[in-house]
Amino acid sequence: MASLFQRRRSKATQTERVRERKHEGFLRYAGFRWAKISGGLCLLVIVSYALVDVTPRHNGGSWYGYTLGTIGAGLILWLTALGYRKRKMTSTAWSLKAWTSAHVYLGLSLVVIGTWHTGFQLGWNVHTLAWVLMMLVILSGLYGVIVYATLPAALSNNRDEMTQMQMLEAIRAFDRQLHAAAQPLTPQDTAPVLASLDEDPFAGGIGARLSGRYAKCATGAALVALAAARGGDAEARAKVVGLLSQKQAALGRLRQHLRLRALLEIWLYVHVPLTFALIAALSAHIISVFFYW
Amino acid sequence: MSFILRRISTTKTGKQIIRDQPLPGETITLGREGGNTIHIADLAVNPHHATITSADGRHVRVTASDGLGFDINGRSVDTADIDSAAGAELRFGGHRLTIAREGDDIILLVERIDELSQSSKDVDEAKAFSLAGVMPGKRMAAWAFGLLMLFAFLIGPIWAWHSYRQVDERPDGYHADSAWLSGPLSSAHASLKNDCQSCHVEPFVAVTDKACVGCHTGEHKAMSMAHANAPTAMLLAARHPPGVGERILAGFAKTFNKPQGRCVECHTEHEGAGPMPATPQKFCADCHDGMSARLKTAGHPTMLADASDFGTGHPEFRPLVRSAPGAKLVRTPLTKGVVDYNGLKFPHDMHLQATGGVARMAASFRGRYDFGKQLECENCHRVDADGVRVKPVEMERDCAMCHSLAFETVGGVTRTLRHGEPDQVVADLTAYYRSTPPARPLQLGGMQRRRPGAYAEGQVYNIYFREVAVRPSRAADAVRAVFSKGGACYDCHTIVAPQAGTSWRVMPVDQTPRFLQKGWFDHDAHKETACADCHTAAPRSKAATDLLVPGLRQCRDCHVGEGGTRLVKVKTATESPCAMCHEYHSDGGKPWMPPAQRKKNVAAITDRRPRDAFAVSLITGPGRRQLYDVTWRTPALRPTNTGG
Repeated sequence: MASLFQRRRSKATQTERVRERKHEGFLRYAGFRWAKISGGLCLLVIVSYALVDVTPRHNGGSWYGYTLGTIGAGLILWLTALGYRKRKMTSTAWSLKAWTSAHVYLGLSLVVIGTWHTGFQLGWNVHTLAWVLMMLVILSGLYGVIVYATLPAALSNNRDEMTQMQMLEAIRAFDRQLHAAAQPLTPQDTAPVLASLDEDPFAGGIGARLSGRYAKCATGAALVALAAARGGDAEARAKVVGLLSQKQAALGRLRQHLRLRALLEIWLYVHVPLTFALIAALSAHIISVFFYW
Repeated sequence: MSFILRRISTTKTGKQIIRDQPLPGETITLGREGGNTIHIADLAVNPHHATITSADGRHVRVTASDGLGFDINGRSVDTADIDSAAGAELRFGGHRLTIAREGDDIILLVERIDELSQSSKDVDEAKAFSLAGVMPGKRMAAWAFGLLMLFAFLIGPIWAWHSYRQVDERPDGYHADSAWLSGPLSSAHASLKNDCQSCHVEPFVAVTDKACVGCHTGEHKAMSMAHANAPTAMLLAARHPPGVGERILAGFAKTFNKPQGRCVECHTEHEGAGPMPATPQKFCADCHDGMSARLKTAGHPTMLADASDFGTGHPEFRPLVRSAPGAKLVRTPLTKGVVDYNGLKFPHDMHLQATGGVARMAASFRGRYDFGKQLECENCHRVDADGVRVKPVEMERDCAMCHSLAFETVGGVTRTLRHGEPDQVVADLTAYYRSTPPARPLQLGGMQRRRPGAYAEGQVYNIYFREVAVRPSRAADAVRAVFSKGGACYDCHTIVAPQAGTSWRVMPVDQTPRFLQKGWFDHDAHKETACADCHTAAPRSKAATDLLVPGLRQCRDCHVGEGGTRLVKVKTATESPCAMCHEYHSDGGKPWMPPAQRKKNVAAITDRRPRDAFAVSLITGPGRRQLYDVTWRTPALRPTNTGG
């Protein structure tokens, strides 16, 4: 008897181990369980939409429209609850991975539920606004899923086994060396070096972060200026130029890191605020329907 | 007096180590270059930046040498005189030079106060490496967007509603609640699109019929009379048992205070611009399919038969029929043997025969009238100007081509009996016999000598003068003959013989102008079909009392249900929703149909005959106006007013 349980348990641990080894992420969680559920739901909606005869034509106000609308609104609120759920550590049945998996796939099914709820009647009004916001939230989420699946590898390659602070520390080290090496330089030559030292590696707006292009990079400018400079201590200057180019490489790595992180994070700045805009617009949509009943 | 350079370094544990170093000489140089007395390794400091001197051992003069000044108390200067007892703070690049006095010595404290470089500054890793540093916070944005939505699309519209609560009509311009418009209004209501409150009067109260009737009054009142007079309970009881979906909807409606049976349930709005959509069959069949049983159970027994679909479930027609001479018109189911007395005698079979007297007479008129080898239906039956209905038969126009009432020719003009005026006929005939002597025999003319004996019985004189003598009394015989069997009137009319105090009377003719009161039939739409294809009984009908209105069976030869359903084989099927023949609002007009579905009139206009080609004047010559006008008595059709 005891051996029976023993075997069963070992089998469970075996499965768990296989999962661990394959690193089953939230996308393939439990053999795409939520993808199947969500796909089935979409199919059900599409087929029933075609079969159900609503007079005079499909719209949100038919019984079918109300049903889809109620399901959709409930889903939106539940999906929003992920933001709360992820901050709560639990060890019970619903792991955060399961929750995330359901969030992603049920969120995608909302495209069908929400759009079919409209009966394809769109216009310039709060009802369509709610739909547009919902679609933007879903699209931004879809972007998030895609970058989560693709960018971490690039991020890891770029880091080259350095931590973020190590990247920054490298720049600091080059700065210190630059400072020391530039001491013999003439005031004309020290100005660009000083500008390079004064440059904040985290400067630049959201555009620079996302594109990774820093047109007014002082280190690059210093490199150009010193390479062109004549007179003074040429040996010291050559050393500074060498250090500057090393600093630029370190800066490039840091900036690439920042860019990848920005690409990984930017969708949340759309996803989260628009979700709350959506909930507000959804409330207006629902209240308006009952207000002008 | 001497200058003492003080340096403070901080250990890793935060402990400060102070080192003092006396400086030689009266003049202290300060700069980046190693040869300076005070060497500051700061790129922002010139190689030879400044000199510090003191004349009296108390006051210190600082002079910048290379044109790059220094800061004292926040101001940038080239030269500064400082009382060391008072002390001062000078700034060279990223370093601070503090001048103070301790005893006889002037203390020069040099400290780096700025970071070596920007990157050396402390950073909050979580913030610096993420987007948090360059984007407004998510929470902030969420609040901003959410509140914006609530203000623009919830509070604004409610405010718009509130501010026009007691106003009859809103002024033009933008109103925030137009953002709630769920779809364009139909063209009839398009002008109301800025005035939500014209229909949505109270918040959270579904649109009531009161809002509709507010405008749709009087002649605009478009409600079906049959349905308007019915109690709401009866209308609700008539509806078909709800399906799952409708039960859900009813549940919604009940929960959220949405009463049923309102105008807007069928007349759905916000379904797109353009005219309101044509009523689909389902709207009718929802109630009328199996309705009589439901109404009976609900305690509202009805005479109405069930109708679900023209192809499969439609009751037999019930045309208006006069079942006995002079009886009232009654809607009677169209069964075999139904008779309709209109007062005329007319054997259709004889007139439509391909051979025989009628056909020969018609053939003899070819060229003069539009006759063929035999009579056709349209030789006698004319359609209205709009082509919808067939005009009642008129004697002068439709019969007189053959059935002439001529009785005399005076100077080439034919005199006819007046149709529709039996008393005048009697008078005319009497006058004719009184005023005109019999034709004078030839023997009585000329200068020829008359022989005696010509007055004897049987001789010409005797005959002639006897005739002259009795001629006026012959009128009575002629009148009797005209009104009796074999006479001109009797052939077509039912005659009432003179009684005490009355003269000859002709039974009034009442031709029913529209047999099918509830449905709409357009003859024009069917003009490509031969009359006898539908009026199948006509060629064999022996009496005018035969009701020749086609039945459901004839219609179903072509017409099938809305979805193409049918009971019999149909060659060219015309899908026929209820609204093709039935007008919900029962105003007696043509059922409304979307323009795209209307039958196009493609017949050439030249096919139409001139209007008065068969006018009786061709036979009788121009008559006095209204001389022969037939008074057409419209049957009193009460049912149209009480719920057609």
